[in-house]
Amino acid sequence: MVVLLPYLYTGGVHKHGLLIELMEDLGGYIIQKVVTGTEVNLIMLIPEKDIDIVKKLSHELLGVLMEAPLTGVEIAVVSPTLASHHLPHSACDIAEYLRHPGANTNMIGLARGMGRRVSLSMDYERKLINEHDIAVFTFGSFSDCITKKKPKLFEGIEIPIVVTGGPAELKTEDVPGADLYIGNIGRVSHRLRRTEEINALDNLNEGVSKIASEIRQQQAKDPLAVLPARVMKEIENQVPEIRRVLSPAPLTLQLDGLRVKLPYDEFHEKIEKLEFDEGVVLSELANISRSKMKNYILIKIKSKSDVGFAI
Amino acid sequence: MDSLEIFVVESAIDSEQEFYRKIIEDNLASLKLAPAIGRIKVVLRPEDSLFQMAIILRDVGTRVTTIDIADVEAKPVAGEVMISIKKEQYIPELLGKLWERYGKANISQPDRWTVAITTDKPAEEAAFIKEMMVADPRHRLHENLVDFAVRATPEGFRVRYHLYKGNRFVFVASEEALKHEWIEEAGAMLEELTEGGKK
Repeated sequence: MVVLLPYLYTGGVHKHGLLIELMEDLGGYIIQKVVTGTEVNLIMLIPEKDIDIVKKLSHELLGVLMEAPLTGVEIAVVSPTLASHHLPHSACDIAEYLRHPGANTNMIGLARGMGRRVSLSMDYERKLINEHDIAVFTFGSFSDCITKKKPKLFEGIEIPIVVTGGPAELKTEDVPGADLYIGNIGRVSHRLRRTEEINALDNLNEGVSKIASEIRQQQAKDPLAVLPARVMKEIENQVPEIRRVLSPAPLTLQLDGLRVKLPYDEFHEKIEKLEFDEGVVLSELANISRSKMKNYILIKIKSKSDVGFAI
Repeated sequence: MDSLEIFVVESAIDSEQEFYRKIIEDNLASLKLAPAIGRIKVVLRPEDSLFQMAIILRDVGTRVTTIDIADVEAKPVAGEVMISIKKEQYIPELLGKLWERYGKANISQPDRWTVAITTDKPAEEAAFIKEMMVADPRHRLHENLVDFAVRATPEGFRVRYHLYKGNRFVFVASEEALKHEWIEEAGAMLEELTEGGKK
């Protein structure tokens, strides 16, 4: 099986089509293309043995090619509420910084997440968070709250939990239920730009990347029946309506599936009947359900052991 | 009293104290409140879900009338009132009031420092404009102070008490029903600040 590695290309719009064509020739995938003015960002999965060819071309185009370890990971950035106490700093800063290595982040503000005794999460919110690959909870500055009161928000969350907070001396073990704790990102009312704050964000990216690669290693033991990136490409080919969706990531990749930003009722049958060259349809390989997010379609791909074969 | 001559944040844990000091500084800056505050003391007790704040304000000046910020001159022959601005910071409020009274069509601004109003009775209108209240900094300050208190408090602390009297401001917030002694403690903090803020 071909090993695909995630990379991010940043460069001018001029002739970037060459890169897209090259990717088609090599059998890689363009996950996301963002054009801002005269700049273009391409997030792609490149076959391991062909990386030198892509590097050479991006060099000729005067662009930069860098590794993007969080490509194909959808992260939920959960803040206790969407009040001015958390937004735009620090929750937006965290979400934005996680996008640098290629992640797709969604910000989720709980309806009643604030406070100590009174904080709680709803069933709907937990299900929504569980649709993601990793959840990043952004907490405040009091260690008492982070260690004793806030962990009740983790109940029912089945995906890895990363917690950010102010106190730098806390350790991951001190926060019950968390898989990783990152300090120095507490409640702030200014943009995160001081050295220790940027360092903390870097630590966060590093930690989250590590968790993502652990999930990938687990997956490698029992691989998915089909690569999410391949499903993405087939949807682009077979469901032309996806081109008219205005969301920045109409097809959002996850580690074990993808989110299709089309209305469920209208399109789920089309998605279920998605055909592959091998003669199988998607509904044999994956569970297709209504997403908790805006009536979108959520595809969770089954593992090889479930299906009996992989394509 | 200098601005922020006393600025104390107290909490059991030093690092948390620093976080909140920074949050308060940022919020003071974004609401442009720092020059108005003389002394401020904040006490944090997360284990009791308690936030207490006492502030002594500096003199922020009284109501501002047109004559304080501009020269007003009646021009009976031309049928005009000329206003020559001396303090630019109140122009938005002044223009707002003038537009409301005379309509935008009758007001022109030949340059940045001059406002000309066309009217039938220049002399009477000039006399009125001179005494017209343009801005009340105290009112604006009160709004900003309450906004500041809400922004600085931890978000879950939604049971609040606030007192604003003269140049003194007390704010107590908690997640639980407020206890009497908490408000009294905040009052004591205010006394302490009044006496020169012995630490």
